[in-house]
Amino acid sequence: MRRIYVAAALLLALAGCSSEKEGTSTPGSGSGNTSTADKGGCTPSPEAQQAYEAPWTQGAEAFGIDKLDVTQLSICSVDTAKYKKEPTDGSYRIALAAQGPTNSWAAENEAAFQAQAKAKNAKVLYASANGDATKQVDNIQQLASQKPDAMVVVPMGPGIVGQIKAATAQGIPVVACAGQLPDNSGVVSTVTRSYDLQGKLWAEWVAKQIGGKGRIAMISGIAGVPTAEFPKAAAEKVFADKYPDIKIVSKQYDDWSPTKAKTVAASLVSKNLDAIWSDSSFTALGVYEAYTQAGKPVPPVTGDASNAFLKAVQGKDVKFALSPFPPELSSQCFDTALDIVQGKPVPNFVNVQAPAFTNADAGEYIKPECSDNLWVPATLPEAEQKALKLC
Amino acid sequence: MTAVQTARLQRLGTRAAPLAGLGAVIVLAAVTAPGVFGTDNLRLILFQAGLIGITAIGQTLVLLVGGIDLSIGAVIGLTTVIVASHTDGDGSALPAAIVLALLAGLAVGGVNAGLVVLRRVPPFVATFATFVLVQGTITAATRGAPSGDIPKALAPLGADRIAGIPVPLWVFAALALVVGAVLARGAAGRRVYATGANPRAAALSGIRVPWVVAAAYLISAALAVLAGLVDAAYVGHVDAQLSRSLNLDSVAAAVIGGVALTGGEGTVTQTAIGSVLLAVLLVWMLELGAGAGGQLLVEGAVILLAVWLQRRGQATSGGG
Repeated sequence: MRRIYVAAALLLALAGCSSEKEGTSTPGSGSGNTSTADKGGCTPSPEAQQAYEAPWTQGAEAFGIDKLDVTQLSICSVDTAKYKKEPTDGSYRIALAAQGPTNSWAAENEAAFQAQAKAKNAKVLYASANGDATKQVDNIQQLASQKPDAMVVVPMGPGIVGQIKAATAQGIPVVACAGQLPDNSGVVSTVTRSYDLQGKLWAEWVAKQIGGKGRIAMISGIAGVPTAEFPKAAAEKVFADKYPDIKIVSKQYDDWSPTKAKTVAASLVSKNLDAIWSDSSFTALGVYEAYTQAGKPVPPVTGDASNAFLKAVQGKDVKFALSPFPPELSSQCFDTALDIVQGKPVPNFVNVQAPAFTNADAGEYIKPECSDNLWVPATLPEAEQKALKLC
Repeated sequence: MTAVQTARLQRLGTRAAPLAGLGAVIVLAAVTAPGVFGTDNLRLILFQAGLIGITAIGQTLVLLVGGIDLSIGAVIGLTTVIVASHTDGDGSALPAAIVLALLAGLAVGGVNAGLVVLRRVPPFVATFATFVLVQGTITAATRGAPSGDIPKALAPLGADRIAGIPVPLWVFAALALVVGAVLARGAAGRRVYATGANPRAAALSGIRVPWVVAAAYLISAALAVLAGLVDAAYVGHVDAQLSRSLNLDSVAAAVIGGVALTGGEGTVTQTAIGSVLLAVLLVWMLELGAGAGGQLLVEGAVILLAVWLQRRGQATSGGG
């Protein structure tokens, strides 16, 4: 009899397991506001402000959007004099609390960081979280105990804030990379591509495709993961505030799995949708596959930019708009950390520049000879691409 | 009423409950989400029933001999990775890739069988360990980014339809017929039931229990390979996020159908009902827009209900 209970409990445990697949894009977290160690040492910087707005301008132009409502953040320049250090034995020691190579995005993310560190002659102290916030708490603690000159964290969730504060209290400057943390986290700088930017860009493009009127579905990655929830919330706000005639027929999650994406999309085929808002190219790929298999025209669809999707839709009549979340942004995270330990002022928020593009320009970005796993436009050095069998 | 009659009535209850459950779910789905049985959704339901069903047949065999196989999801993932990396989209390399995947799957099944039969490791520990081990191996070997493409030649297995019905369902139906017939009429079937019901008595009556148990794990692994091929064919791309949920689905389908977790009791028909019920649930939840949380909640509730009903039946009959 006891065996039944054990088995039932195990089933429930498995159920929990299966809902926790790691994301493609790194889960970050936060309120959408920037966070700085101390606001007192942060002076307004028109230059940083301009850099923040540049990706918005590029995205709006690429997608043909007239009025893109830029999310206002107080961008400033952080005085890092107190973190200034001399390198030990000629090289700085920078810690990387990474996601861990659980998918191609993360693998490229780490390779880009290592490559940049090598180019700048810095030593990397590395820890992998395997996509798990709990594991990352230990990682940060363990990395901090090795007294690095600076630490870069690819945040797995808001649960790590306590450890980040502790590291900061020890005088270690922390950079949040590819994700946002709550205001009080104490990070010196956040380097990522704005979630609001992504969500709004995709939403405005969808609205434009269907003339501000029609039936759409929204498909996001993992429920509760900031990389999925923040763009979604931003997009929902755009639809609610500006386009009362757009009806969101269905909102779904697909765990950023092409298989689940195709299953979800297959359940939408009969709903006469005019467009599909999605936050990843895994989803876009699933949408393409499901509609094609059902023998129906593929509705306009959005996502980030993977080579797999571009290869699948090459030469096909599919309208899409992609805004990348480039894994290589970690090299900018490294640069920011290096600036900090050299006492150079850094922006409190770096909005990563990456070209958004539509089906009209896809030819410039597709790499037919490279792996499906490559994220475009790939800026990773060729040697690293080869090493990861990406190209 | 005699004890025999009571037992018969209970068995009838166990058999009829899943069917009644399926009927209730279908009615509820049709009422709350009218679009759920449109052509496209119906195809999706049939496809999912086929995919879940293929893994659930293997799981049923393992459950019947008193075990449980939690490594199914890992074998499915392993299959996709092997097919993608070995063929890289080249159809001519497909047969070799399938053989390789089958060998790898059987190796996993063999390890499961070895641990359970030779070392007497509790099945859920043994198979969960191999699950984690295989997942780890995949992640380490591919660095989370399995390379390669799925050959187009494989596509018909997952994406085509025969007489309007998705191929995976035909595959499942054929397998269910064969396995069902063997279990119901064959000598092999009797050995399976005897082993699950009382391994010691089975051994005393001359059944080679270890071989029966080992065969169940090997067949389960082989069917997981087949499910992996179907899944790869369906989506046409390598999916690094794939397949943990199919572990749960395969056990759930069998349990919902009324296959006893204690071994020795259950039929493939019951598992088939469970598979269809799960598939309807899945598409119904999608149609309602319930999200991952809602889907798992409902699935969990249905499993608990099924186990609870089973337990009650056994408690009153003094077994268990």
